[in-house]
Amino acid sequence: MRKTIFWRYPARLSFFRMDDRLLLISIGVIVGLFSGLAAVGLNRSLIFMLEGLYHLRHLWWAFLLPAAGAMASSIFLEKIMKEGAGHGIPEVIYSVSRYGGLLRFRSSFSRLISSCLTIGSGGSAGPEAPVVMSGAAIGSTIARFFYLNDRQRTTLVGCGTAGAIAGIFNAPLTGLIFTMEIILGEWSMVNIIPIAVAAVAGAEISRILQGNSIAFESSGFHITGVDLFASLGLAVVAAFASILLTRGLRRMHGVSVKVKVPMWVKAAIGGAAVGVLGFFVPEVLGEGYHSIHDMIQGVFKGGIGIAALAFFAKIFATSLTLGWGGSGGIFAPCLVIGSFAGLAFHRVLAFGFPGTPLVNEGCFALLGMAGLISGILQAPLTGIFLILEITGSYEVMLPLIIVSVISTTVTHYFESDSFYHKDLRERGELLRPGTDSRVLADIGIREVIETDCITVPPHMLLREFFHLLKQSTRNYFPVEDPETGQFLGIVELGDVRSYIFNTVMYDTVFVEQIMNSNPDIIHYDDNLADVLETMDARGCFSMPVVSNNRFVGMVSKATLLDKYRDELNVQTSQAF
Amino acid sequence: METTFFHVFRNTPPGREIFMQSLYFCKQTRASIKIYIPEFTKFLMYFDNDVVQVDLDESYLTQPATARSHAMALAVQAGVEPFFIPPMNFTALTLPDISVDFDFMCCPRCISDFSSKFSLGHIGPRVRRIVNAARFPVLIPSSQFKEWKSIMVFFGGSANAVNALNLGLYLSRTTGVPLDLFTQAGELSRSHFIDILKEHDLDEEVEASAREWHFFEKGKFEYNLFEVPHNALAVLGAYGHGLVKEMLFRSTMEMVQSTLTNPLLIAGPNYAVGSR
Repeated sequence: MRKTIFWRYPARLSFFRMDDRLLLISIGVIVGLFSGLAAVGLNRSLIFMLEGLYHLRHLWWAFLLPAAGAMASSIFLEKIMKEGAGHGIPEVIYSVSRYGGLLRFRSSFSRLISSCLTIGSGGSAGPEAPVVMSGAAIGSTIARFFYLNDRQRTTLVGCGTAGAIAGIFNAPLTGLIFTMEIILGEWSMVNIIPIAVAAVAGAEISRILQGNSIAFESSGFHITGVDLFASLGLAVVAAFASILLTRGLRRMHGVSVKVKVPMWVKAAIGGAAVGVLGFFVPEVLGEGYHSIHDMIQGVFKGGIGIAALAFFAKIFATSLTLGWGGSGGIFAPCLVIGSFAGLAFHRVLAFGFPGTPLVNEGCFALLGMAGLISGILQAPLTGIFLILEITGSYEVMLPLIIVSVISTTVTHYFESDSFYHKDLRERGELLRPGTDSRVLADIGIREVIETDCITVPPHMLLREFFHLLKQSTRNYFPVEDPETGQFLGIVELGDVRSYIFNTVMYDTVFVEQIMNSNPDIIHYDDNLADVLETMDARGCFSMPVVSNNRFVGMVSKATLLDKYRDELNVQTSQAF
Repeated sequence: METTFFHVFRNTPPGREIFMQSLYFCKQTRASIKIYIPEFTKFLMYFDNDVVQVDLDESYLTQPATARSHAMALAVQAGVEPFFIPPMNFTALTLPDISVDFDFMCCPRCISDFSSKFSLGHIGPRVRRIVNAARFPVLIPSSQFKEWKSIMVFFGGSANAVNALNLGLYLSRTTGVPLDLFTQAGELSRSHFIDILKEHDLDEEVEASAREWHFFEKGKFEYNLFEVPHNALAVLGAYGHGLVKEMLFRSTMEMVQSTLTNPLLIAGPNYAVGSR
């Protein structure tokens, strides 16, 4: 007999059976710690690479560094790790939506290495998406190790995500909110507690190993009504910057797909272009946190023109890096682009209205970051809390909220989904909790199939058919070839109604003459959401399931909706 | 319910041999074959508690233009109607997901792993992961197509062996092919195994269906394997250990698959008889 190792199945312990929150909290701490470690590891590796390559930056061929890094990253990811291309976060959302957070173990480290190569060599991308992917994969792997169920695994994927974000930014609240808003798409008590604990664990391990520092500490801002009014304009600018970046990334990816060369060549081309751009606008290289620091401190040396140029150049460089196969995320570029947008906007205002008592330009850089993050992710809370935690500027709360919510709203008007959700939505794979598609996706055709149907041969006389009808409680009768077993059509009760009182026809009409020989059919692999849509469109209440040209059973709307209700009960009862 | 069999088609001569074994299995068991012609060198299979990335080698993408027609021609020749399945979804742009809602799957010993380059005769780690995670049994074909005329169930008394026996009985019922049992008893008596059969209400069915019970109290297991007919389908259960554990401690599955050239049908630890 197979030995059951009890500690591998903690969810079976009677202590956890009643309420598994304590189990999730305990394992969530472990996941948070590992995710935080992954974040610290990536951070340290990036510092190591940036310092190692620093003395090469002034050489004439330094523009080739991003090309080499992107190429190495692509080769590592595609040839060695055999990962599919992607930013990482959409894969996490997809796996949470469809497969209860099942992620590959290799994803827990592959993106860390590849993004380190891309960003460390100067590619314009951020380390946050890779670290989120890593944290999520760590959560998933640990959940698999302990044989946890889908819901518990999803929570641990959330723990990994929160721990990673908390670790990389030293921002536990952002980790929690990003996870709920972007990854899970639901706010349920059963998730919030373990995820919050994991975020604390991730942040704490980062603080122990790297020190408790605020990433972009500001000097304090005095906000007035004028600033609040000006922040309205900045919100609109940030929204359009978000739209520009979203479309730039997608357009660039579309262009690169059309170029028929190996992936690593594409990545090298993109990297070389970024290298050339960085030769003229060095701010576009790498994650760009140094520029943010300067802008928030109000010591950025360039004028309006330079800020505007850097703004567009960073969008272009990020699109080139990520669209052409480099590895990394959009968080850090968003922060850089947002701060350039805020800075440029402040300087335009100061130039146009010289006497206006505006707050320090560093505050606008900070608000711009929030606007861009909120706009591109369409997640205002993430934008607000991220900026609060990484700058420690709680005095800018009011304009921060204004910029974040307006930027989100304006962006949503032009882009119906966030950058992370857009592809999934287009592929029909964004299944958020509590939605019809999510509930139906969790039900298989085999679960709703009814097999107690009476099949009839095509040459059956109407009289025999009516005799059969008396014994049956069903309204649908599939017609099968008695020799080959092939499905030929279906007879619905409505089809024979006109013959019921016409007894003359009883011995002259065969079933095959009245059957519908071309009915809409269902296959095993069909999506139930599509089945329900077809039923609504055709006005039918039941459809036959046919496989291998053979009738298998019927799916009725009533059974389907019964099952839907059961599944909805299961999903909603898990929320508390 | 219809029985379905999943096959990843490789448009090469070795791929044809494997495909013919899948077709033969389908014909015998009256299962319908679901064929996947890969467009990428990798795909994902999401099981209940695991996700397995199957990394195929480049040979699986050989001549994609003719793959479908070749598969079709072979299937028609074998009298089995082929069904080609597209990927269910895409986890990433070049990473399709394949449904795992099948009753059987065909897997060569090594799909793509490095192990195939230097340790021929071992089942690759990816195939092990599938065996370990799947609710369906996995057919590991022999290198060349050969019709099987009997079913040999390896019955060692474990829970997995009982599963394998149930599977063998089902196959025997469905195909009409005679069933034999193979037991390396060691120091255990025949009555011990009969008690296990009784415990699972299989004694009468085995008595009625089994043609012969090769019961070995002596001799080394690998030598006794000589008694397995060359044209038998070997059915066995597996614990689903990883490659390292199996190579270190050995196992019946490892011994059987590295000694016999017969096609093997392996029921993993998650295979549930009732799920078919």
